[in-house]
Amino acid sequence: MAESVSRKGSAEKIADSPDVTQPVVASKLRKEFDDLVAVDDLDMRIGRGMLYGLIGPNGSGKTTAIKMFVGLLRPTSGHAQLLGENVPLRRNIHRIGYMPQELAIYPDLTVHENLELFAALYSIEDSDFGKREQELLKVIDLAERRDSLVSQLSGGMKHRTSLACALVHGPELVFLDEPTVGVDPELRVGFWSYFQALKASWKTVVLTTHYMDEAVRCDIVGMMRAGKLIAEGTPKDLMARAGASDLETAFLEFSRRASA
Amino acid sequence: MNVKRVLAISRKNLRSLKHDRRTVGFLVMMPLLLITIFGYTFGGEVKDLDVYIVNFDQTPADQSAAQALINDLATRDTMNQVQVFGPDSADTAAVDASLAKVREAKAWALMVFEEDFTADVAAALEALRNGTFSMPGSFRVYIDGTNPNVVSAIMTDLQTSIQKVLASPVYGVVPPIAATPELVYGEDAEFIDFFAPGVMGLAAMMVTFMLSIISFVHERSQSTLDRLLSSPATEGEIVAGYALAFGLVGLIQSMVILLTAVLLFDIQVQGNVILALSIILLFGIGNQGLGFVLSSVAKNEFQAVQFMPIILFPQILLSGVFWPIEAVPDLLRPASYCLPLTYAVEGLRSVMIRGWGVGDVWLQLTVLVGFAAVMLLLSAYGLKKRR
Repeated sequence: MAESVSRKGSAEKIADSPDVTQPVVASKLRKEFDDLVAVDDLDMRIGRGMLYGLIGPNGSGKTTAIKMFVGLLRPTSGHAQLLGENVPLRRNIHRIGYMPQELAIYPDLTVHENLELFAALYSIEDSDFGKREQELLKVIDLAERRDSLVSQLSGGMKHRTSLACALVHGPELVFLDEPTVGVDPELRVGFWSYFQALKASWKTVVLTTHYMDEAVRCDIVGMMRAGKLIAEGTPKDLMARAGASDLETAFLEFSRRASA
Repeated sequence: MNVKRVLAISRKNLRSLKHDRRTVGFLVMMPLLLITIFGYTFGGEVKDLDVYIVNFDQTPADQSAAQALINDLATRDTMNQVQVFGPDSADTAAVDASLAKVREAKAWALMVFEEDFTADVAAALEALRNGTFSMPGSFRVYIDGTNPNVVSAIMTDLQTSIQKVLASPVYGVVPPIAATPELVYGEDAEFIDFFAPGVMGLAAMMVTFMLSIISFVHERSQSTLDRLLSSPATEGEIVAGYALAFGLVGLIQSMVILLTAVLLFDIQVQGNVILALSIILLFGIGNQGLGFVLSSVAKNEFQAVQFMPIILFPQILLSGVFWPIEAVPDLLRPASYCLPLTYAVEGLRSVMIRGWGVGDVWLQLTVLVGFAAVMLLLSAYGLKKRR
């Protein structure tokens, strides 16, 4: 299927389609910075309700790809569609969520004020916001620190607040760039059960991670290297194809094959 | 443009300020300090200058021109006569001791009247009436000229006394030419009335520029900007949210200055206060836009602060805040007319001192509206280009 699109799709814009069984579609998506090709003609399709993990070393193009999806970077060439709309999104922009790699929350505001700001930007009604906030604060275990300034929170707490800000408007599709970095193991378990819950309600989660033990929990794992998707599949499938007993070895194997 | 999102961004900026007490303190205290310090130093006339007088004039005190001058000088407080050596105690030792005081900077001036002062004055007057010539009665004034303002205050005060004494019945000399000022504007205006509008403009400029450049440098370095731009908020809404928040801060600050200036220094507000504040608001919005635009060039707070003197000093010197534009050398005059502060200050002055209305300050308003519009458009364009 990917091939049938890529032949023609590289030159023409993909028509907006109501097909939301695949909320993320990338076709020959490319980003160059001066001499560097950060994302190299990426073709990618992610099904609805999937928990998709992008793994790969630093500089492999994961973050650049996500930034193009959420409209922060303009692709050099190629196209991407989210929820059936070409990026940069207009109509559907309120239906996606994004947690940048950096904390990206206001240290001089309280947890509540941060959440309230992003809720307002997504036009969440005050009455809905109250309920939503309580729910999220429970997930991130910060109900008691609701009125603390973010600058006074520990690193892990800040990280949790950042996650909550990406989810406050209840997006259908959410991009999380390294959501569990610096989060202690116990809370990481909590995060993952929340990601599973999102998935259970047919939300699509795309995340990047460095932890292979986390990647195993994803439905689909995409392995990136030098701006290209070198392998994609369920963790089991990937390990079987590489003849490896863990994802890390599998990644090295695919990496070797790609450069061969 | 979605008003709710604009307001959400404004509220965010104001809330950040609210949590930062030191900055709030700075925002209130800086203009207060500025207007108070400027008010007392510039606003006050030069007075109580310590002087010594050695009077050798031998004419009896009730007929002495020197004594008449000394008495008249004492009626005003420009000079404080620390010690006056009369004809009986005046000697070279007194002159030397007094001159030493001036040299040691313990006094600003020494005046020495010679023995024949009154006689010389009378002779000169007589000669004037007869159409002949005689040396005028003169006295020496030794002044510490370190401060030109002091020199000018002393000499002006002396001239005033000389004219008064000459006009008195004893001499009956009335100057044949008299210029009578009829004030079209600025009845009872003092220097502080002239520069209070300047200080208001200056403070609004500093605060709005600084808040916006620093907040936006943070926005970039914290990556919160990425979050804003990936949300439904448009570039225009972000820019408008900023302009509203910091324009408001500049406005409130100007109100603090205005109130202080009125209560403490009793400055004049002839025109419409709302119009004056609107000028400040427009100017503040323009400057926060300038900060917004320049923030893209600054990588961190430190680099942002470096812009302050570059923006501040030319405007302080060239925009007629403390000196009229006419004092700016011809070569630099075109620069003055390119600076927005020039128009803000001129507009404010016209409203506050001349009592002008909207129709009279249309030029200033137009320039400021243009300034604000261009800055806001550039800000939005800069954000768009970032993607």
